[in-house]
Amino acid sequence: MFRLDKVRTVMRREYLSRVRTKAFWISTILVPAAMIAFAVLPSLIMSRQGGTFTVALLTPDEALAAEVEAELARRSEGPASAGLLNIRVEWIAPAPDSERQRAELRRRVLAKELTGVLVLPAGVLEGEPVEYLSTNVTAFRLIGRLDGAVERAVLRARLRLSAVPEERLDQLTRTVKLEPVRVTQEGGESREAVGSSFILSYALTFLIYITVMIYGFYVMRGVLEEKSSRIVEVIVANLSPTELMAGKIFGVGAVGLTQYLIWAVLAMNLAAPGLLSLGLAEGASRFLSPTLLIFFVLFFVFGYFLFATLYAAVGAAFNSEEEAQQMQTVLSMFLAIPFVLMFVILNDPDAPISVVLSLVPFFSPMLFFLRMTVAFPPTWQIVLCFALMSLSLLAMVRVSAAIYRVGILMYGKKPTWKEIARWVRSS
Amino acid sequence: MNQSTPHLELAHVSKRYGSLQAVDDLCLVVPRGAVYGLLGPNGAGKTTTIRMIMRITLPDAGSITLNGAPLDDRLRERIGYLPEERGLYRKMKVLDHLAFLGEVRGLTSGQARARAKAWLERLGLEEKASRAVEELSKGMQQKVQFAGAVIHSPELVILDEPFTGLDPIATRQLKDEIAAMAASGVTVVFSTHVLPQAEELCDVLCLVNRGRAILHGPLAEVRARFAQPALRVETPASEAELRVIAGVASVRRRERDYLVEMTPGATAPQLIRALAERLPLVAVEQHEATLEEIFLRAVEDDHVSPR
Repeated sequence: MFRLDKVRTVMRREYLSRVRTKAFWISTILVPAAMIAFAVLPSLIMSRQGGTFTVALLTPDEALAAEVEAELARRSEGPASAGLLNIRVEWIAPAPDSERQRAELRRRVLAKELTGVLVLPAGVLEGEPVEYLSTNVTAFRLIGRLDGAVERAVLRARLRLSAVPEERLDQLTRTVKLEPVRVTQEGGESREAVGSSFILSYALTFLIYITVMIYGFYVMRGVLEEKSSRIVEVIVANLSPTELMAGKIFGVGAVGLTQYLIWAVLAMNLAAPGLLSLGLAEGASRFLSPTLLIFFVLFFVFGYFLFATLYAAVGAAFNSEEEAQQMQTVLSMFLAIPFVLMFVILNDPDAPISVVLSLVPFFSPMLFFLRMTVAFPPTWQIVLCFALMSLSLLAMVRVSAAIYRVGILMYGKKPTWKEIARWVRSS
Repeated sequence: MNQSTPHLELAHVSKRYGSLQAVDDLCLVVPRGAVYGLLGPNGAGKTTTIRMIMRITLPDAGSITLNGAPLDDRLRERIGYLPEERGLYRKMKVLDHLAFLGEVRGLTSGQARARAKAWLERLGLEEKASRAVEELSKGMQQKVQFAGAVIHSPELVILDEPFTGLDPIATRQLKDEIAAMAASGVTVVFSTHVLPQAEELCDVLCLVNRGRAILHGPLAEVRARFAQPALRVETPASEAELRVIAGVASVRRRERDYLVEMTPGATAPQLIRALAERLPLVAVEQHEATLEEIFLRAVEDDHVSPR
């Protein structure tokens, strides 16, 4: 039995009772805030962390040490916005007892007299590796700076050895800058601020991930509430379990779409100036293209239905949130897989592995959409993607409805896998 | 519709849970317009029976008919049902909740709201209309749920242990509502293990024990058939002294008096005369057996008899 007016009654209750809560408005504000925090804050904080560091240079070649120091001084005249890295250099000549000297340097590093020690061996010009001794070998920005300075100093020393005149050195060691230019779908070109493409792809995919998870979870909790409080029994005379499940999923989904609508309006009015100041505006305008927004909503809808039906079945099969916890953890991990695979796709969106992964129905809402943000896939893939998702959705609805129908009215013991399989078969 | 067709009928219904035979070849006939008591000790199978009528679980065997037609999901909508375990959405406002239940039961949203308001007034809860359900006392929640069960004016109402957890005033109120529904021609089936309540309310009853009906029929008939004639005797004499008098079948000592059951064939005047001749008596009167006594005996007999 499936009567739309009953479904509508349930849906309206679900929708109103959720939108009227404080929790809805709090999450409406918190989710974008958390997203911005995740995406932007770490790099923002890292780029603003400056300070003064003392690095010892252990090398027999005093001229090379001076060259490294000069390079470091030159580089620190970089953009003021990136917090200043002030590196002081202390040249140390190798002592006869190298073991004891190294031990002494280690002691000074531990005593925090030195941030680190660069060991430039005699054969560094011939390609012998340089060591960096420090308590912290994950200070990427500092190590990157040292790496660049040593590289260029060694290069200059080698050029000098090859009798290249001093005045030509600057010209020969000039760095090359690589500028990514996107070839757009229309055949034009688009220059984007570095990282904007990545951050926005990441943000939108993350948004799908988090909303599908949150709303799926709401569906499960709602089902468990109805089951544990025996409301189901009160309304079951007049409402089939399938109608109840459909009403709940539609209602909660409508709440999700409402939240998206609020975010979209907010983004257009508030966030756009913010993006401009971050230098992301060019990328943003591409992301706010109507086509992509439509697909964004479509992928949310499909992702939501795929997972909400699953979550509803889990809620119906168990008796309490504690019991359902295990399954819910499995589901969240399943949902996190595409999130982890994001980098595979970003690296090469059209590689066979990316295409195949993005076509797996449960991954599509995130991964296929991600591909769309990076490089628009061919039409046949889009059609195939939606066809596969639709088919799986139909199958999921059948399976979940079967589990739901039986599970929602079963109390007491936890069902076994065998029993669940039997419910599905008998439907 | 034929007036003699039972409103609700269960024929040879059985249900087994694992090794437990919860309901065993049970037959019930609920006449139209009756207040039908489904009675029995805890665990007798009352709730399982009701859940089968509501199609929450399906019987392993037997048939259930409403107005002579096999009960299906569509017919089930004509039944108002108050489950034993109460369930409401805790965060919802009382009036919204009742209106929601009304709509689920097929009323338009306008109708549902109007009736919800009327019911709240009738139950003295109009001031709580915009409170959250969880702010209400248990008894009040139960009243709301009762209203939700009958808001669509069903022709048959099934109440599973409707009085548990109610204070005397609320119990009185609910009894009055049941009587009012019965007066308007609605058939009411309710289960209880508290027999004085059943005695006061129902005109037809069935006693279930271990999944089987051990007594059933109209209340007066059951009484006449199963109550053994007995006297209530107040005397300083001992139990043994009473027992030896001709016409005494059994003696049960109670707090202040004895309950003396008569042997078949003995009449009250004969026995009273015999007692008065032999023993000092403070008071003697004819005793009308309560349902409780009838049922206690029936349940005892049922447990003695082999299955």
